[in-house]
Amino acid sequence: MSEKVRVGFYALTSCYGCQLQMAMMDEILHLLDKAEIECWFMVERNSDEDREVDIAFIEGSVSTQEEIELVKKIREKARIVIAVGSCAVHGGVQSWDKDKEFNELWKTVYGDAHVKFEPKMAEPVEKYIKVDYKLYGCPPEKKDFLYALGTLLIGSWPEDIDYPVCVECRLRGNPCILIEKGEPCLGPITTAGCDARCPSYGIACIGCRGAVRDVAWFDSLALEFKKKGLTKEEILERMKIFNAYNPKLEEMVSKIFEEGE
Amino acid sequence: MYINGVIELRYVKLPKENTYEFLERLKEWGVLYAPVKISEKFYDFREIDDVRKIEFKYNRTIMPPKKFFFLPKEKIFEFSISKAEYNEAIENVEPFIVFGVHACDIFGLKIMDTIYLDELPDKYYKVRREKGIIIGISCVPDEHCFCNLRETDFADNGFDLFLHELPDGWLVRVGTPTGHRIVDKNIKLFEEVTTQDVCEFREFENKKNQMFKYHEDWGNLRYLLEMEMEHPMWDEQSELCLACGNCNLTCPTCRCYEVQDIPNLDGDTGARIRRWDSCQLRSHGLVAGNHNFRPTKKSRFMNRYLCKNSYNEKLGISYCVGCGRCTYFCPAEISFVENLRTILGLKDDSCPPEVAEEMPKRGFAYSSSMGGEE
Ligand code: SF4
Ligand code: SF4
Ligand code: SF4
Ligand code: SF4
Ligand code: SF4
Ligand code: SF4
Repeated sequence: MSEKVRVGFYALTSCYGCQLQMAMMDEILHLLDKAEIECWFMVERNSDEDREVDIAFIEGSVSTQEEIELVKKIREKARIVIAVGSCAVHGGVQSWDKDKEFNELWKTVYGDAHVKFEPKMAEPVEKYIKVDYKLYGCPPEKKDFLYALGTLLIGSWPEDIDYPVCVECRLRGNPCILIEKGEPCLGPITTAGCDARCPSYGIACIGCRGAVRDVAWFDSLALEFKKKGLTKEEILERMKIFNAYNPKLEEMVSKIFEEGE
Repeated sequence: MYINGVIELRYVKLPKENTYEFLERLKEWGVLYAPVKISEKFYDFREIDDVRKIEFKYNRTIMPPKKFFFLPKEKIFEFSISKAEYNEAIENVEPFIVFGVHACDIFGLKIMDTIYLDELPDKYYKVRREKGIIIGISCVPDEHCFCNLRETDFADNGFDLFLHELPDGWLVRVGTPTGHRIVDKNIKLFEEVTTQDVCEFREFENKKNQMFKYHEDWGNLRYLLEMEMEHPMWDEQSELCLACGNCNLTCPTCRCYEVQDIPNLDGDTGARIRRWDSCQLRSHGLVAGNHNFRPTKKSRFMNRYLCKNSYNEKLGISYCVGCGRCTYFCPAEISFVENLRTILGLKDDSCPPEVAEEMPKRGFAYSSSMGGEE
């Protein structure tokens, strides 16, 4: 590739953890020969949201009217749009309680304070624009970022991760805490890629990488949790932390409880 | 010791009091791995520093011993696109010993050999297999073991040494020239086998046989599986399945892997890696054009049952060696054995009136018509 690839990194409502994760990588220096950073306020002072780019990375959930306009603009100016992190991909942890009354949530967080923007419920980027590739996680893994970028740089298309955390948990030789201790581990329904980080420390996965595509069997796992004594509410609460926008979750979990014993 | 190239089995006794000394000396032959307790209930083969941590009475390891030869994840080569070349990444493998392998797992390795030494020779597997010393150990079944039904409960070969438990030590069978060398080099630790030891060995084996949960004939299992593709068990049980892959990833004879190219940021070089795969995962049946020849969870669930119960022609046994891992390590508590017994008609609710309408025309390993609605 002779011409440099134009890259942009844009932040919506988020904790900036994703950007920080990417910006801190030593490998990013290798990129400078290959890429032109058109917009990335964290690392490049001369950034401009209005420039055209080949690859746009978007972090954060869409949480204001302005952000709706921004993502639409990015989509128009970018050839490839990559949603980065749980907020952008699944709406993030801030969507956990999305089914509650918005005003009530707003009050809980901000009280009576006045803000300059028009707020709305946090939503995934995909709700407004087409997303071409997703980097899962809260924050995402450096290696996923490098893989996606590296693959695009050689003119190929990166593979989506379509298998659950359990696979990596097994490859690492961990004991299974769901079987052994009855911990409500979300590994079986969660997108792999973190090398089963939490179960490797004996901690149950809370699903920060989001449900794995169309192969997250919320129902089967809910049944297993039910057998271990969890209530429907507890199960929904846990599965929704990072999956509140999943269209199938509620229905699949409810099914288990309707069927009775 | 050699008669026309055949190694004569030799029997010696390792008295109990010499066990740890023997294990310590094994380290002279390479890195020693053996089963240890890794959590409240689970065991795994790990590198051994203190030989007293070795578990002689474990039920099963969460990772099968194939992990030493067919690595869970490995780099297979590095490539450069501009130079149009690739370099195999075979590392220099040092000799190592896997101590404490149960009979079922020895058969598991023999099955892996028929694939990765014979059928589809794999240098990464071969180089490790050549450097690995296998020492078997006798065991007794728990409720999940069914090696007796798979005829894999006693290994005649496939080990360098095999230790059979005696009340006061071990009856050691020597299986290879390496095994002979290990014994000869430590001959002072061994004694001759006595008539009493032979009696004890026989008694152990008889007792083991009686301890299995099931004593029944599974001879017609493959026929029945082919004819019972429509059995309600498939729907009911695959409904419970999490598609987590644990059953395949703990199985001593699953041999599928997935490869991925990981390019570097220079837009030129990179590496190809592979990792164990599972046919319970969506991508296993995915082919060009986004077509998936196992599009549903049910079809993927069935695939494992059919694959594991097919026949390894070379060894004359099924691909499943009856170790019980796929049940023991299934987070959804699905019992492979009980499901097979349903198909076999060994459980009450096992005989629905209707037989599969469409009989498979070829062996079930090729059946692409299994399916259901997603
Ligand atoms: S501990 Fe969790 S991630 Fe690991 S195998 Fe068990 S359920 Fe899966
Ligand atoms: S184990 Fe689960 S919660 Fe932990 S990092 Fe991985 S996906 Fe996130
Ligand atoms: S399946 Fe058989 S050989 Fe394997 S551990 Fe159980 S009793 Fe031992
Ligand atoms: S281990 Fe159990 S739940 Fe997981 S894929 Fe296998 S059968 Fe399904
Ligand atoms: S097809 Fe499935 S059951 Fe057969 S070897 Fe591969 S992963 Fe194992
Ligand atoms: S199919 Fe199950 S019982 Fe049979 S060898 Fe594999 S893990 Fe063991």
